[in-house]
Amino acid sequence: MSPRHHLDPATVLGFAAGSLGPEMSVVASVHMESCGHCRQQLRLAERIGGLLLDQQACPVPGKDTQAALRQAMVDKLDRIPASIAGQGLPLMGASSARDDADRLPAALQPHFGSSYRSLKWNWMAPGVHCIRAPGLPSLMMIKIAPGTSLPIHSHGNGELTQVLQGAYDDALGHFAPGDAADLGDDVEHQPVTTPGVACICVCALDAPLVFRGWIARKLQKVLNL
Amino acid sequence: MISVPPSQSHALKQWVAEMDGVARRQDRECFMRIYDHFMPRLCRYLSGLGAPPVVAEDLAQEAMLKLWNGAERYDPARSGLGTWLYRVARNLHIDRVRREHIWVHAQDVVDQAAEHDVQQDSLAELHAEQVRLRQCLGELSAAQARLIRMSYFEAKTHTEIAKELGMPLGTVKSHLRRAFLQLQSSMGEQR
Repeated sequence: MSPRHHLDPATVLGFAAGSLGPEMSVVASVHMESCGHCRQQLRLAERIGGLLLDQQACPVPGKDTQAALRQAMVDKLDRIPASIAGQGLPLMGASSARDDADRLPAALQPHFGSSYRSLKWNWMAPGVHCIRAPGLPSLMMIKIAPGTSLPIHSHGNGELTQVLQGAYDDALGHFAPGDAADLGDDVEHQPVTTPGVACICVCALDAPLVFRGWIARKLQKVLNL
Repeated sequence: MISVPPSQSHALKQWVAEMDGVARRQDRECFMRIYDHFMPRLCRYLSGLGAPPVVAEDLAQEAMLKLWNGAERYDPARSGLGTWLYRVARNLHIDRVRREHIWVHAQDVVDQAAEHDVQQDSLAELHAEQVRLRQCLGELSAAQARLIRMSYFEAKTHTEIAKELGMPLGTVKSHLRRAFLQLQSSMGEQR
């Protein structure tokens, strides 16, 4: 998978800084799980964090506190058996399940389960089904039937969408599995899904969608979008 | 502007040598030199994020203990020591203070995927990059530097920054985007 649409650099920076909301972080991590380019960007953003940490002047704790903390650390080292050293960093193995077509990306599994086949979709509108993540109402998976045109809309504060299966087109281009649509509040679009396969996406919304037409706006109230 | 005190330019290779001492010999003197440099910085960073002083100190101690226990697996080609500690402290804060375990899981997923990314930077390249980055941080505009600080040191979302500064969300993002691209170009990365 070689994505053509990437995360906004401001989103990568937010992820590195720990300043993205939880829903956005989940979707960003789904993208970065399969995007080496954005992982490289993240690495650079974390180096900025490391340098900022290193550059900080004047220590916060007073001298006495520092001395007490230092002694406490020395005492702790005395109590750690030598055999424990080396166990502080978790070993990370490659996921053997990564290539399994029915398996959800690892970042989504705590919220939606591990299998596409086991997803319990809720009807939302003709051709559109969704599942909201328990406890995170603005994180949702959406399944849109092939060849469906969504109403034209913008986003209250922004939207981060990752395409998982199928594809769609809008004025911004063609979005296929692995692509991220990292849209600001000033973007208005009308996605049309590609014929053939249902388009499954995961989305994080900062605020409710804003529909242009009055019919769509009425529909929005019913659908709680 | 973000100040850049030149006296703090600890060479990466010094930390690599100290970490080597910790990993191979469990050398406490090496460890305590790392501790003396980074502990106050970690406390300050964690306090800035909003952790009460005692909590900040506990988390900073825990980050340093992770370093002691994990020194054998520290790979200087993957990240500088400051970056490694920054990540540990950030994750501890998100996990223990903000209690956003979801976020930590999301981070783990990306870390796991990154395990197989090729890292080609030599120590000399990393050092040169750090010097350039340090200089570039000092050259950011006042607005960019402020937003970078609010992101990294206060962990404020783009929306929170926009509200606090009375700035349109799009402007916050474009300032941060430009700042990041500017910093990237100093590190030899062109988008």
